[in-house]
Amino acid sequence: MKKEALLTKEKNTWCSGCTNFAVLRAVKEAISELRLAKNTSIVTGIGCHAKIYDYLNLRAFYGLHGRVLPIAFGVKLGNPDLNVIGFGGDGDTYAEGMEHFVHNCRYNADLTMLVHNNQVFSLTTGQFTPTTEKGFKGASSPLGVNEIPLNPLVLALAAGATFVARGYALETSHLKELIKQAISHKGFAFIDILQPCIMYHKHSIPFLNRNVYKISQSHKKEHFGQAMEKAREWDYSYEKDSKVPIGVFYQSDRSSFQTQWTQLKRPWHEIDRKINLSNIVGEFK
Amino acid sequence: MMKKTILIGGEAGLGSNVTSHLIGKIFCSLGYHVFNYRDYPSLIKGGHNFNVLKISDKPVHSHEHYYDFILALDQKTINIHKKSLKRGGVIFGTKETGPVVKKLGGPQILANDVLIGLFFRYFGVDSSTILALAEKTFGKNDLIRKAIEQGYSLTEVKEKIKKIGKPNYFISGNEAIGAGAIAAGMDIYLAYPMTPATPVLHFLAKRQIENNILVFQPENEIATINMALGASFTGAKVMVGSSGGGFALMTEAISLAGMAELPLVIYLAQRTAPSTGVPTYTAQSDLKFALNAGHGEFARIVSAPGDAQEAIIRTQEAFYLSCKYRTPAIILGDKHLGESNYTSSQLKGSKLKPVSYPVGRASSYEHNRMGHTVEDAERVARGQEKRLKKIPRLAREMQKINPVSVFGKGKNLIIGHGSTKGAVLDALSELKNFKFLQISYLSPFPKKSVAREIKKSQKVFLVENSATGLLADVIAEQTGLLIKNKVLKYDGRPFVPQDIIKAIKK
Repeated sequence: MKKEALLTKEKNTWCSGCTNFAVLRAVKEAISELRLAKNTSIVTGIGCHAKIYDYLNLRAFYGLHGRVLPIAFGVKLGNPDLNVIGFGGDGDTYAEGMEHFVHNCRYNADLTMLVHNNQVFSLTTGQFTPTTEKGFKGASSPLGVNEIPLNPLVLALAAGATFVARGYALETSHLKELIKQAISHKGFAFIDILQPCIMYHKHSIPFLNRNVYKISQSHKKEHFGQAMEKAREWDYSYEKDSKVPIGVFYQSDRSSFQTQWTQLKRPWHEIDRKINLSNIVGEFK
Repeated sequence: MMKKTILIGGEAGLGSNVTSHLIGKIFCSLGYHVFNYRDYPSLIKGGHNFNVLKISDKPVHSHEHYYDFILALDQKTINIHKKSLKRGGVIFGTKETGPVVKKLGGPQILANDVLIGLFFRYFGVDSSTILALAEKTFGKNDLIRKAIEQGYSLTEVKEKIKKIGKPNYFISGNEAIGAGAIAAGMDIYLAYPMTPATPVLHFLAKRQIENNILVFQPENEIATINMALGASFTGAKVMVGSSGGGFALMTEAISLAGMAELPLVIYLAQRTAPSTGVPTYTAQSDLKFALNAGHGEFARIVSAPGDAQEAIIRTQEAFYLSCKYRTPAIILGDKHLGESNYTSSQLKGSKLKPVSYPVGRASSYEHNRMGHTVEDAERVARGQEKRLKKIPRLAREMQKINPVSVFGKGKNLIIGHGSTKGAVLDALSELKNFKFLQISYLSPFPKKSVAREIKKSQKVFLVENSATGLLADVIAEQTGLLIKNKVLKYDGRPFVPQDIIKAIKK
């Protein structure tokens, strides 16, 4: 499918200049270049990111806030042949859906999870999320956020994710390549995409433009210790300048969820069952 | 008519449930009818567990609290239940089993096998029948065989029990739900452990390879139901199971199933609530919760099977209706239905074949026919109307599958749903001029049939395992008819026929 055919004709309601347009472009190009459109199913949560459901012309499930991962996991359970991509926000994935994130890192199903991390709830007009920096003032936190932000990369590594990466929406070609690698990874692939909100968290744009750098070729991504060290380089705060690495932090080849289940071979709806009740209840006689 | 009631008890871990089940199975193999009630607190070792077996040459659907036999695995069982022993009743306990276990040098658990041998010798049942079924249950085990044989030597034949027919089925409500799901062509079962729904998880997990189904235990109930909807989206036939607390966590996604029009079967095994309540005891107090769980207005199917045979059929129907009308179906069971064993001479299935298929788009958001998001007034209203049209269509289809059943004849009426069926049926023979209306579908509600039965009856009684009589509220809402006489039980224990007879004769 051509890149253009991957888009629907639905009216786009993101703010003009929203960095989500860059994520949409990177996703569209990645899927097109991998020639996976026919076989891809996307799942979204609720929030600005989720509007991508209407813009991508793919098999799609507009889910619930926080529940992207269980739905995506279920899609994979239902049809192991599908290339499943989950889209979530930072509030979606790290607040409401935190437990699912941790467990999906463990399960290692062959899914891709893209988190549009703008460090703020945008569609509900600017409240803090788990990745918002200390000191942030919003309508629900006029006195300033007192808590330290969560580092999702460190969490994903600790929870056993086998592909951990960070992208930056405004480094769009680099992001596209990351998405292609994530999709090709056999197991749970997670990318935290820094996707600054131009309405409620615009101060992150100059900071990120100044500090983002691409992880060098010499980084050993199979080395867990190095990955952890790299993940800790930036703590998602804005108090002082700190280098922000983007790229693949970690990748390992632990066997994926579906390889452990002999029943998970093909889509269930294709299975023709010959059912005989007397065989099923025979053991009770 | 032959009728015996047997209590088997002991501390948790001593084996009373397994022994009770085996005795029940042996009687079923001889053509008798057996009902097996299980009573246990929420602990693994210690406490006091007991089962009550009611055995007859005629169909039995419930237990009672007066015993012909007490088979005791500890002294506590005798102390607690001796007062309920019928005149001329017999107690076999540690006095009989202790010396044998000691002689065999075996573990305490052998007391069960001694009791089994002793009990069946009392009734003159051939030891080869017992040994064969024991081997089928426990595998080849020399110590068990010896313990049964020793049990045989402890008494003379006091009463002769003959084989009276072909072997009957002996199956619990939970096993029937699991069997019904397999018979419906279910592909995936997802559940987080919660009593009393867990036995379905165990039953299906154990049989997943031979039936080519997948059984998985996700991180919690919220994940469970959302995974189920993801799989349903791809065309898989999926069921989830839980009790009230876990079901409460699922409610947001039940509404999603309604909005996204995805088939899903939910087994809700009720237990004593509110909150944690009494985990291993029964109740019917989630009826209105099942009928209303999930925000917004959408069609739902709620059925309440009354015994194991019905559980098989209603489970198959739940898959059929949910797939056809693309809306969630809830099978409302409870501890009493799920963990009691029922006898049937044959087990029938439904002829309905559920059909599922993958869809291109599913959305929690209001959407048009293409699945794309809409917010304008006209299309929002159209979306609501499209989904709600399913309710009258479902109500019509339901007429074909007996949403209500009437048992017995009389001017007066007992109304109930779910697991109270057994006790009511067994009470009916001692109540003059009473019939029983069992409501098997609670949503869409069979209002015409229910109203007709109520209107032509003189006295009307509701029987329900709840403190407020929820079904009376549902009937009032649906038909405008009020039921004032309520026979209620809310101590976690199921009704026995005498409870109902006494309350109605008062």
